[in-house]
Amino acid sequence: MTLTEIRPDAVTDRTISGRSPWQLAWARIRTDKVALVSGLVVVLLCALALAAPLIAAWNGHGPDDQFRDTGITAQGLPVAPNGTFWFGTDRLGRDLFIRVLYGARVSLLVGVVATGLAALVGVIVGLLAGYYGGVIDTVLSRLMDVVLSFPYLIFAIAVVSIAGPSLTATIGVIAFYSWAAIARVVRGQTLSLKEREYVEAARSIGCGDLRIMFVDILPNLLAPVIVLTTLLVPAAIVFESTLSYLGLGIVPPTPSWGNLLSEAQGFYRVAYWYLGFPAATLLITTLAFNLVGDGIRDAIDPRMERLFSLRRRRRRRSGGHHSRARHSEARRSEARHSERSKEA
Amino acid sequence: MASLRHLSITVAVAASLLAGACATQTGTNTSPSPSQNAGAPVSGGTLRLVGGGDVDHLDPTSAYYTVTSGIMRGYARQLFGLNGVSKEADTTKGFAVVPDVATEVPTAANGGISADGLTYTVKLRDGVQWDTQPPRQVTAGDFVRGFKRICNPVAGAGAPGYYTSTIKGMAAYCADYAKAFEKAKPTAAALAAFQNSHEIAGVKAQDDRTIVFTLVQPAGDFLNILSLNFSSAAPAEYDQYVPDDATFRQHVISDGPYRITQYVATKSIRLEKNPAWNQAADPIRHQYVNAVDVKMGVTEPDAVQQQIEAGSADLAWDLPVPTAQIPRLKSGDPDFKIFPGAVTNPYIVFNLQSKNAGGAMGKLKVRQAIEYAVNKVAIAKIYGGADVATALHTAIPPGNIGYQEYNPYPTSGDQGDPAKCRQLLAEAGYPDGLTLVGAFRNAGNHPANFQSYSADLQKCGITVKGLPVRQGDYYGAFLQNPSIAKASKWDISAPGWVPDWYGNNGRAVSQPLFQTNCNPGTSNYGCYSNPKVDDLIKQALAEPDQAKAAALWHRVDQTVMGDAVIVPLNNQNTPIYKSKRVQNALYLPAFQLYDITNLWLNPNSP
Repeated sequence: MTLTEIRPDAVTDRTISGRSPWQLAWARIRTDKVALVSGLVVVLLCALALAAPLIAAWNGHGPDDQFRDTGITAQGLPVAPNGTFWFGTDRLGRDLFIRVLYGARVSLLVGVVATGLAALVGVIVGLLAGYYGGVIDTVLSRLMDVVLSFPYLIFAIAVVSIAGPSLTATIGVIAFYSWAAIARVVRGQTLSLKEREYVEAARSIGCGDLRIMFVDILPNLLAPVIVLTTLLVPAAIVFESTLSYLGLGIVPPTPSWGNLLSEAQGFYRVAYWYLGFPAATLLITTLAFNLVGDGIRDAIDPRMERLFSLRRRRRRRSGGHHSRARHSEARRSEARHSERSKEA
Repeated sequence: MASLRHLSITVAVAASLLAGACATQTGTNTSPSPSQNAGAPVSGGTLRLVGGGDVDHLDPTSAYYTVTSGIMRGYARQLFGLNGVSKEADTTKGFAVVPDVATEVPTAANGGISADGLTYTVKLRDGVQWDTQPPRQVTAGDFVRGFKRICNPVAGAGAPGYYTSTIKGMAAYCADYAKAFEKAKPTAAALAAFQNSHEIAGVKAQDDRTIVFTLVQPAGDFLNILSLNFSSAAPAEYDQYVPDDATFRQHVISDGPYRITQYVATKSIRLEKNPAWNQAADPIRHQYVNAVDVKMGVTEPDAVQQQIEAGSADLAWDLPVPTAQIPRLKSGDPDFKIFPGAVTNPYIVFNLQSKNAGGAMGKLKVRQAIEYAVNKVAIAKIYGGADVATALHTAIPPGNIGYQEYNPYPTSGDQGDPAKCRQLLAEAGYPDGLTLVGAFRNAGNHPANFQSYSADLQKCGITVKGLPVRQGDYYGAFLQNPSIAKASKWDISAPGWVPDWYGNNGRAVSQPLFQTNCNPGTSNYGCYSNPKVDDLIKQALAEPDQAKAAALWHRVDQTVMGDAVIVPLNNQNTPIYKSKRVQNALYLPAFQLYDITNLWLNPNSP
């Protein structure tokens, strides 16, 4: 395990009790206000997205209902935010607030499912490559290289023109692009972990490869995978918006944030709300997910310092210096994964 | 029909099969006069056009985009042409054919048209010159060469059907041409050798200044056909190039007031004054501006509009006035005009061959239910409301032969009638509704159109699943490919139709849209076939009396609407914007653009 830091301020003079690494992580994240607020925003967004049908039923505006008399002017311009339409309307007289909420359902669904799929594939491929090494490693690593070097938009356009744009195609394309980043990190970690004494011990008492991989090594990989996955979710959301914006993602009339932005582009000079609200929601969502991801990384792996960490500033102020148990291989893989997450 | 601004309209090839009888020619011989309040003409300056994409072709024989026609007016001349109009109310005056290189409009009275209506003798104007060293007269032989290039296998005319269905021997010549290059490599030398050794029976240069056309059947719209850019003259030098290849594009030879001095594909085109041109030999053009600059690569209509308003551009090249800006511009901007349209754009077409939902599209009652369902006012709002688009009830729109206002599927305020739709669906055997596939272009206003009409259909129980198609693939690769229709890939879609000419144009509207034709390249996308309609079209094309022909075309309209083959949605007007300094802007209805050869710039710098 890499979670070996003991912070002096975490050790109180009250009862001394053993804490698991997860408890330690939780203790750290609780002091990170930015992460907590971002987490709250994410939870709120998810709640609103889940409640979208209830809200739509409550105010009587379905996501595809076109209010051609009240929601659009005679000359076809959208209506500004008012008591009936909180975020204004779009060019077809639909309630933008409801559409942004329904768009959140699509965006979050795509973000979570695509990243989940990517994590699953990435972990399995990374484990196999790292654990077996040799030819398997070479083949799988080159596969990752190929995927990572693909021009993703061209690939997306190709896939969509063959399969036709749909939710499944969108999720598929995004997952295809994200798994390799995870697989690389997992492979690196596995390479180092498989040489550890406890793995040797497991092997010496006759454990099978599968057991070693999934019972002994996998739990020790969870920290970087969780961090990376959290950071990939906002990337997937932006990816989905890009595809939909280009008309390659979610098929209208189903609202997604990319669709909303795409529809609004001809109206930004006359209807600020049309572009403004979906764009702001997209911005807030990706920012919140990124900050949560950052917070989790800080908590699980406190050796990494963030640029604007409140905790670090506090620590600086208190002049605290911590001894840090560093493991060279872990550091190297950490560097690699932070570099990948930047690319993602 | 010609393809228009790529965000709004369409490409389609009108395949014409039959020609008709002679009708009275309505051409007038008036030269455009400067519009009121424009003041005295000012020479000089550079007209700056800004837009998104490139021309389709620079070769007059093959160009089919209207934006290309817009600049081609500066460098390629035909026997006959059209004049621009200065006022919205005068738009229909822009439909009349006037002489260009021809000295006069041929009629039976002046001996230009023979008594049987089959022979047209056209005299060429003196002093029309090619920009060669030294300048050389444009001859009847140059026009013959132009006609021979129409069906070249490399870059032929977009609508050869207009020629093969009217000119004697044209169909045979084109068939021979295609056959000769089935396997042979179409090099410049080989193409020229074929053209110079084969004749079109119905196109003869009697002498240098006289050209004689012989038709297979009298055709009242023949002069319209001669005014299309496919009918341009071609100098002997064109024999050195493969039509419209990269080398050709650097060596286009002008006989108009401007010549191409620079062409960089997908980036820019520059036209400058042609020294070989003289005003006395051109009744429809002038040479006011020094140069015309086309800048490409700005794909946002809003960005172009801002540039024109700021004065850093003069006209939009291939992009429409952004819909969202129309209300603001309409309230008092003198540089903004809306010219009345004569088009069916958009309309809903049904794939009659589809087997989806139990072959629902093949059932008359289902199609009629949809006729009642759609809210045409809502579609008009997508284009900017009633000022820009008006509800259309007829298959033939106003300004086209056979148009008479009637409304076979009336609904209150054109807003659709879901109850009537549901009732007809129940009668058709779909009381619980059905699911259809709706194909739409994923660009411009088209996704909004789709979402609007599919919401209307949803109200009467028809779920329309969206099938986005790339803008560039929509016509050629998708709708005009009947095997896709046969495979039930789509049930319903909303294309648009803009005729190649207006007035006496059954050959450019009803024939391509409704005559039986299920071959690749058809414009009858749903493969509608009714022997009664085919027969009426044949009769109408052969009818010498224009009033009687109009009555026949109207019967085509009634039959087609009775069969509910299309749902006409809107007739769209053309909003158009210019910079302040553009004066004497004359609107060409056939191109939906201002005439660059008649406007001047005040002030004239840059």
